[in-house]
Amino acid sequence: MYSELKDVKVVGMAAAVSNTWDNVREFSTEDEAVINKFIKTTGVEGRYSANPRQCTSDFCFAAAEKILEEKKIPREEVGVLVFITQSSDYYLPATACVLQNRLGLSTSCIAFDVNLGCSGFTYGINIVGSLLKTSQTKYGLVLAGDTSAREKSQKIRRKFGHSAELLFGDSGTATLIENTASDPILVSSHTDGAGYKAIIAPYEAFRNPDRPASEIPGTRMDDIEVFNFATSEATAQINDYMEKQKKNPEDYDCLVLHQANLMILKRIGKKTGFPKEKVLISLDRFGNTSSSSIPITLVYKYGDCDDERMINALCCGFGVGLSWSTVALPIDVKDILPLVHTDEFFEDGYPREEIEE
Amino acid sequence: MTNQEKIALLEETLEIDEGTLTEDTLLEDVDEYDSMAKLSLIVMMDDEFAVKLTGDMIKGFQTVGDILAVMEKA
Repeated sequence: MYSELKDVKVVGMAAAVSNTWDNVREFSTEDEAVINKFIKTTGVEGRYSANPRQCTSDFCFAAAEKILEEKKIPREEVGVLVFITQSSDYYLPATACVLQNRLGLSTSCIAFDVNLGCSGFTYGINIVGSLLKTSQTKYGLVLAGDTSAREKSQKIRRKFGHSAELLFGDSGTATLIENTASDPILVSSHTDGAGYKAIIAPYEAFRNPDRPASEIPGTRMDDIEVFNFATSEATAQINDYMEKQKKNPEDYDCLVLHQANLMILKRIGKKTGFPKEKVLISLDRFGNTSSSSIPITLVYKYGDCDDERMINALCCGFGVGLSWSTVALPIDVKDILPLVHTDEFFEDGYPREEIEE
Repeated sequence: MTNQEKIALLEETLEIDEGTLTEDTLLEDVDEYDSMAKLSLIVMMDDEFAVKLTGDMIKGFQTVGDILAVMEKA
């Protein structure tokens, strides 16, 4: 479906990671030929990983703080906070509530979590933009991220199977949206739950609380199904979107795709008619960062630019659900802030066992 | 395209030394035929033959000959 968001505008974007960058060649135990092939296919040369006590919310918090401070936003004017993640702090309450307090926002604020992955950022623009339009509040925050490089549970730090273990990075992002006169933003959203098994962590929630020893822990992904889904459905959605906007690749400054893997990005770029130089890549440095990947790619490209110029970024997120969404965002380059590094984490005071390294 | 030409294309796609594969080669014996190689195979089949390989089709491939059989223009 298409949504049209009138008079809302992205006025700030930031992304945060730790200070720990893992070089794939150094931390993988695979032989060199396998690593070379992995890098060639996925484009991932390394990734930032969260320190043992850092959560996604810590990165989103740091990114949001950066925007609120740099842009001198009165905190009482932020009335919407949506935290999009698949690595929340707790089963309950919603991490968004904790973040509302940590960020010093007014209690007159809608705050909730959304469980989406790679389509999370583009969905978040739709959700927060829509809520801003039905309220009198001035600003809303889309906080999106995941710590997919590490899944943490009890004493065990779970590891994915080999390629997925190398593929993912940890990060969090913040995007500030203002309720102000602006050209409408068009968002296209799709869901196909028939593909729910393509990316799934089936155990240790409420449906299947106990995992048989024979079953692998954590998230499993069907690479081929995901590849075919991404290259067909995301491509179709982007092409339809451009047709609906009566635009073509020349009308956009860049195509910012969820950073799934390099082969998928090249394929979608080719099938949507975007020249290589317009398809932004951040996989090399950050890996696949789930719902962070679109804003982190913009930060990687424009975060250190001093220009004051508007860009029109065509963004498409696709993945777990299956869920996919496209939005063209006009953004002033000066509103895309430099990458934030943080090793800080929230101390909630609960007793805990140390995670084994 | 002859079978020899198809095998050469397959070797190039899977990054395997020329002359390694025959029609009877069992795919489970080919170390290079991993999940990343399968994605390259999907791309090659789409570009060269306009064939959309599904996950089920790929799971059904036992030998090199099974792949050659679908290397025809759709």
